[in-house]
Amino acid sequence: MPVAAGLKVLVVDDQNSVRQMTRMTLEQIGVRHIHEAENGKKAIDTASLQPLDLIISDYNMPEMDGLELLHAVRGHPAARRVPFILVTGRGDRELVVKAAQAGANNYVVKPFTADILRTKIEQVVGRLS
Amino acid sequence: MSSLDQLKQTFFDECSEALQQIETGLTDIREGHGTDDTINAVFRSVHSVKGGAGIFGFEGLITFAHVFETVLDEMRSGKLAASPDNVDVLLPANDVLTDLIAMTRAAEAIPDNYGADSRAALERLLGKGAADGDAEDDDTTPADDFEGLDFMPVRSDAFDAPEVPAGGQSFRIIFRPGADLLKRANEPLYIIRELRKLGELALVAETNRLPPLAELEPDRPYIGWTGTLRTTATREQIEEVFEFVVGDCELDISLETADLPPSIDAEPLPLPAPVFAAPATAAPAAASLAEHSAPSIVPAPAADAAEPAAAGRPAAAKQVATTMRVELEKIDRVVNMVGELVIAQAMLGQIVHGLPEETSSRLAQMLDEVIHHTRELKDSVMSMRAQSIGAVFQRMPRLVRELATKTGKKVRLEMHGENTEVDRSIIERLGDPLTHIIRNSIDHGIESPQDRLAAGKSDEGTIRLVAEHRGGRIVVEVSDDGGGIDPDRVLKKAKAKGLVSPDAILSEDEINNLIFLPGFSTAETISDISGRGVGMDVVRRNIQDVGGRITLKSERGRGMTLQLALPLTLAVMDGMVIKVGGQTYVLPMSAIVECLRPARSDIHNLLGGRGMLRLRGNLVPLTHLCDLLDLGAAADTDERVVIIADAGDGTRFGLIVDELCGHQQVVVKSMEESYGTVPGVGGATILGNGRVALILDVEKLSDLAISQTSPLAAARVGNADQPVAMGVN
Repeated sequence: MPVAAGLKVLVVDDQNSVRQMTRMTLEQIGVRHIHEAENGKKAIDTASLQPLDLIISDYNMPEMDGLELLHAVRGHPAARRVPFILVTGRGDRELVVKAAQAGANNYVVKPFTADILRTKIEQVVGRLS
Repeated sequence: MSSLDQLKQTFFDECSEALQQIETGLTDIREGHGTDDTINAVFRSVHSVKGGAGIFGFEGLITFAHVFETVLDEMRSGKLAASPDNVDVLLPANDVLTDLIAMTRAAEAIPDNYGADSRAALERLLGKGAADGDAEDDDTTPADDFEGLDFMPVRSDAFDAPEVPAGGQSFRIIFRPGADLLKRANEPLYIIRELRKLGELALVAETNRLPPLAELEPDRPYIGWTGTLRTTATREQIEEVFEFVVGDCELDISLETADLPPSIDAEPLPLPAPVFAAPATAAPAAASLAEHSAPSIVPAPAADAAEPAAAGRPAAAKQVATTMRVELEKIDRVVNMVGELVIAQAMLGQIVHGLPEETSSRLAQMLDEVIHHTRELKDSVMSMRAQSIGAVFQRMPRLVRELATKTGKKVRLEMHGENTEVDRSIIERLGDPLTHIIRNSIDHGIESPQDRLAAGKSDEGTIRLVAEHRGGRIVVEVSDDGGGIDPDRVLKKAKAKGLVSPDAILSEDEINNLIFLPGFSTAETISDISGRGVGMDVVRRNIQDVGGRITLKSERGRGMTLQLALPLTLAVMDGMVIKVGGQTYVLPMSAIVECLRPARSDIHNLLGGRGMLRLRGNLVPLTHLCDLLDLGAAADTDERVVIIADAGDGTRFGLIVDELCGHQQVVVKSMEESYGTVPGVGGATILGNGRVALILDVEKLSDLAISQTSPLAAARVGNADQPVAMGVN
């Protein structure tokens, strides 16, 4: 059973405010190791440099969107096994289906509460203690 | 400020950037330069505003942004044409969005129906789009989650607990979710999966609580489960699985001693059916995912996925700069500290000069170095505050387009030097004057296509907007190739309004400058574009308020040019310290052309006390600074110094002062807050000796000087009746 404080989570979003908000939410859940990346390229860099336990990525980003990042992660030798949660907007069903096909482990609809995020994470990594 | 408040500030800063991108993008699309990337970027910006608004709970913003975003989504998917007509609906929508963000930022209540027109127009576009393409889902009541979508979260194997061997004890479990369990983001399916990990699980669903379909509330769980779990786990471990739902369900876990009911034991249900029915489209994807763990689906190598994405969007890649967001307040604090440093340095300089030569020379050398570094520090900090003037310029194409449509004129806008950097405080105050000047140009300057053709010009008028650095200042020029100013009409009007005396004889330049007088209007009829001509005096005052000056050149029938010369910064400037009548003042270096000690024979006194200086063949009017400042009669010595200054409009005049004390950087401290506007005084500063000195406003001094002799007297100095209060310390 993974311990929240031991999880290494990468948050990817081009909006600083959203990244910070996600960070705050993760901290509420008890996650202590939080990396941030403002675009897909930096996310790949971070993922290649250190082992991650989870990537939480927004979909709508310039240059490389969340799905493209997911493809890149799944094709990356070091990061391919890192669980991936895609953050989507309300009402974007098609995207969730695409994400599933591309190998996303889960999705979460923005805006989300700490409870929702925790549930979504636990569905992927197992119950957090 | 709490961290949440700070995050909100960050969000609003991001919004400002997003709004600019939307405006630029839409303008590009409107003018036919738009690509798919442009539409995507605009969409993303609106999406970011909406997303952030959602996170921070800004409801008024979300709803409008949602409609806006939906229209853009239609446009980027090609269902809605990116035609000028459609973009003309989006541009005002961005204005509404801008207002909504401003109101949200100021924590003002958003009036009911604010932006309703724009929203209705957007919705009409959606109607159009839907008719052209497929009908879209009605998304007005978005759900928090796609409850109908059976996306099976894929469990990562990284954290899997070791397989629990079967055997051990049997527990009887009754689990009936309470009404609020789903609403609290819990999902019975996952609890059951967790249970299954502990051992052999056999459950039967109780469907007896299911209501008729018509009465079914989708967010309420109606199904309960009973069954057994054969496991080596303890009761505590089982209870732990239910940790988050304990208060939200009926739960009974009891050790089973009797044999299991045969039906359950014989045929354990592998997994209950999904609680919600899955729509057909989502099922295959989800099913395939349930079979494999995510990592086994490896669609493409990273390079393949990443590189085309980058190659396909060179424009977007170019824009990414390594930046850091810093609050303006923090930079301002540094600017203030640099100011204090400059003052302390000047004081140090005075002490050093007072020391005996042998000790002071090395010190003075070091001090020079410090001064050099301070100047660089000042420049660096100022460049941090600098923004490209493009932020103001980019509003103009739209303004020109709208006004051209309204007036039925053909106008082309040329812009150059958008990347010129100007201090942020100046940028903020440049928008209104520029807008007004351009309005005036289109309304009064550029002629109708017929008139232009008749005058032998092309039917399309041109407005040029140019910004550049020139001699320590930023010069912004707005020129048009319209009719220029008609001096006869202006003079007639000014006389009719009593702004100049009926028998005054004025040069063409003087007449042209009459348009800067308060209340002057040349428009024969009042138009709703530039109004009653209250503009140009306000424009001039705005520019003067930031230490800038405005000059006008007009050529009848050929057009006119307005030139705004602005200081690079408002906080620290180069000044010449002078003494007159026993008082110390500072003159801005930017206004000083030269300083000289003329021979008495070069000064010719005219009637009325005003002298003229013969300077390299030209006559320059002279004024005693102590007369202007009312410091009493000037000492009539040969030692006096004349400073040739630029009055701001290119004309030169000489100021007679007693002594030049030296050139130094001074920190401008505003006096307006404490004393109001004093004509002739631009601010104050603290000198090296710790005393306060007033910084003189050369342009105003020139006006004051003219007012002593010219028929334009009262008019040119707007408030000449106000006493010129001076007096230091």
